[in-house]
Amino acid sequence: MKARILVVDDDEALAEMIGIVLRNDGFEPVFCADGGQALEVFRSAKPDLVLLDLMLPGIDGIEVCRQIRAESDVPIVMLTAKADTSDVVRGLESGADDYVPKPFKPAELVARVRARLRPGDQKAPETLRIADVTIDVAGHLVSRGTERISLTPLEFDLLVALARKPWQVFTRELLLEQVWGYRHAADTRLVNVHVQRLRSKIERDPEAPEVVLTVRGVGYKAGS
Amino acid sequence: MSAPLDRGAPENAARTSVDLHEPGVTAPASAAADESRAPAGPFEPAVPTAPADVEPDTAGAGTTGPGSTRPPAAPPAPRLAVLADGWQSIRFRTRLWVKRARIVGVRVARLVSIGASRLLPGIRYLLRSLHRKWRRSLQFRTVLTTLMLAIASFAVVGAYLSNQIANNLFQERLVQAESETRYNVKQIQDTFDGAQVTDQSSVITLVYDTLNAVEGRGSVIQRRYVFEAMPEQTKPRNRWVESRASDQLTISVIPTELRKAVQDSGKEQFWASTEFPVGTEDRPGIAVGNKVTFNGTVYELYLIYDLNTAQKTLDEIQNVLLAGGAVLALLIGAVAWYVTRNVVSPVSHAALVSEKLAAGQLQERMVVKGEDEVARLGASFNHMAASLQEQITQLATLSQMQQRFVSDVSHELRTPLTTVRMAAEVLYDARGDFDPVNKRSAELLYNQVERFQSLLADLLEISRFDAGVATLDAEPGDIVQLVSHVMEGVAPVAAEYGSEVTLNAPAGSIIVDMDDRRIDRILRNLVLNALEHGEGRPVNISVAANDNAVAVAVRDHGIGMTPAEAARVFDRFWRADPARARTTGGSGLGLSIAAEDTKLHNGWLQAWGRKGGGANFRLTLALRQGEKITKSPLQLEPVDVGLQGAGSDRTMLLLDHSPAPRTDNDTGTDAAGGSGAGTRDARAAGAGAGVPGTAETGTKDGS
Repeated sequence: MKARILVVDDDEALAEMIGIVLRNDGFEPVFCADGGQALEVFRSAKPDLVLLDLMLPGIDGIEVCRQIRAESDVPIVMLTAKADTSDVVRGLESGADDYVPKPFKPAELVARVRARLRPGDQKAPETLRIADVTIDVAGHLVSRGTERISLTPLEFDLLVALARKPWQVFTRELLLEQVWGYRHAADTRLVNVHVQRLRSKIERDPEAPEVVLTVRGVGYKAGS
Repeated sequence: MSAPLDRGAPENAARTSVDLHEPGVTAPASAAADESRAPAGPFEPAVPTAPADVEPDTAGAGTTGPGSTRPPAAPPAPRLAVLADGWQSIRFRTRLWVKRARIVGVRVARLVSIGASRLLPGIRYLLRSLHRKWRRSLQFRTVLTTLMLAIASFAVVGAYLSNQIANNLFQERLVQAESETRYNVKQIQDTFDGAQVTDQSSVITLVYDTLNAVEGRGSVIQRRYVFEAMPEQTKPRNRWVESRASDQLTISVIPTELRKAVQDSGKEQFWASTEFPVGTEDRPGIAVGNKVTFNGTVYELYLIYDLNTAQKTLDEIQNVLLAGGAVLALLIGAVAWYVTRNVVSPVSHAALVSEKLAAGQLQERMVVKGEDEVARLGASFNHMAASLQEQITQLATLSQMQQRFVSDVSHELRTPLTTVRMAAEVLYDARGDFDPVNKRSAELLYNQVERFQSLLADLLEISRFDAGVATLDAEPGDIVQLVSHVMEGVAPVAAEYGSEVTLNAPAGSIIVDMDDRRIDRILRNLVLNALEHGEGRPVNISVAANDNAVAVAVRDHGIGMTPAEAARVFDRFWRADPARARTTGGSGLGLSIAAEDTKLHNGWLQAWGRKGGGANFRLTLALRQGEKITKSPLQLEPVDVGLQGAGSDRTMLLLDHSPAPRTDNDTGTDAAGGSGAGTRDARAAGAGAGVPGTAETGTKDGS
């Protein structure tokens, strides 16, 4: 079955070009040129992934991203003309899983889309623990005691990657490769922002993390 | 300036100057002569603690001319003697003053040294702050100078006045004493002449009564006397009175010179200053001597007049003078302070305002009041500030608009460029199906879009630096790992050039606070640059660290650079040889961006080159952000070159962080602005290479 991809971009030429590239690679693109209608189109089209331009007329991309994330875990990839740290971080913090800076190569775009659409691993029933957090891998559940913690698929993958090898320190590059699926390091800010988001959900005190620990100068590891 | 009694060292007695006064001399003449010849009176100011002794000094050193009752031939010799005495008196006085000054000096020095040992830090601080005040405050300086000058003037005037008063007082008393003596001596002589010399007791009674009468009636003794038979005369049988004196007095209070003068003369009257005991104190006085004859015996008769009252008056006058002088000095100081404040405060206000203006507070203005010179200064100052502000604001707006424009253009270009690029790539991927012309066109399109895109990316990056929105996102990371990563990344390019890239780094990791995205970009730029100019020869990367810094040096052995070229290597779009074809398609902004990235890290990025000898670029970063780099762990001039030594065309560019906020959009100023720290390092590098002082600091104009 063809994966359906919602392309939210006000530039018709670019949207059309993206459509061509996606179709070439066997995806089914759906278009929306206005931020205000993005949520409606999203609801009606039920895409498997959203490509979202950060700068949109009407409601801007950040807000659209927040709205979609509020009702769905569907992967969101931002398209941004601004590669400034603040914009990227703002986009990621509003719930995007990844971002592609303009101008991008078609192959790069397709790679990112594929990476996010990766069919979920056939997860064996497996229960992991980090600190006082329990992870049910097959059931996609994370809990502390009786309290359920809701994570996006990406955050879940990040947590599972760390929890599977609690003895190992993961560099950001390694996490990018294992969680995002990028062989050649894109931007390690992705990792930083997602670790922060993850921490804000699972840590008792995000300022003094116990579940995801920082190893100064190297990367991250699971807490014991 | 208290002037108690004149007191001197014991030897003064020997210096007593004796005045000859003839009986008939008119008092005013004498006084006038005295004044003119010896301005210094006997009531000299003296240190109260100085050893007390008599200074039987005479103020009136002058002699009078021959009296009306005397033939003029008589006293030339005494006059000469008195002149000499005047000189002696001055010399003596000088010595006395020196002595006093020395005593006072020693005491003050002792006091100061005791005080200093206790209060030294405080005093030093006080002195330093006073000195600073002196240097920095015009008002303080003016007031202090005025005060000093006023005090000095008062001291001179006060000394002169007090001297004059003392002299006048003395002269007045002297004239009185002389005429009283003359009268009394005459009275006594008359009494003696008319006396019946009968028996011893009556004679003694007569003499004593006569003499006692001299003291005057009433409770206050008007004058004291010393009555002594002249020595060396045949003693008549019936001489019953040898000597007689008022209470507590003996002949020893009479200066020897006076006695000698009296003894040697006929019937003239002489005087001298002396000092005599009354109760427990010594008092200054004037002794006037003459001879009387009684019963065939010649006696010396000295009448001593108390100067205590005059001294007290003088003391009081001096106290008043002193107090008046002090008050006046204070008043003058206050007036000087007020006047200078009126003049200086607008000036210091102007200084303050211009300092604020210079610091960037362009809205600062002076307060203008009235129409005087100060107001004109304020008005023209404000005018200047206003036009300055206008221009600066205009420039800032222009510059901001320009940066904003570049940034906007870059952003706006991105979306269509993305479309173009994707389209080009689609065409490029499908070029196999095209005929040769279309195929080549697709390839050119693809390659040039790539180049266009990298140029745009670099421009955007530069515009971000220029707009000041670039932020450092520093985290601890392993720089050795980063270098290896960069080497992997450039491996295909290196293979294309046929250059071998080697790494010389310590084992293990070096953790540095860095924005790895930027450091990665700097290093990739440096390595690509080295490959581009390396002519296929090896490129060596060295990494080293010391206590607070880490350095990465990229050395190539290619065409190298001249000093002038090295100085411009970080300029935008600059190429060593414009005719040289671009081979890598770089934007010409790579090294400029690297310099900006380094600046953001407060690091050093420096270049060394020699024509034909290759080049060396060194990046130095503080291990922890916020720390200052004191010395780079690697030398800028490569060891292999330094050992050859001779290089006179050695050069380097120092491009360091300049702490001043950036105000223009020319990276070139960095090279000039940071040369301070760089020069220090240059010396270290030069010395390290064994060729001290040969390293040239290449800086360039900021224009």
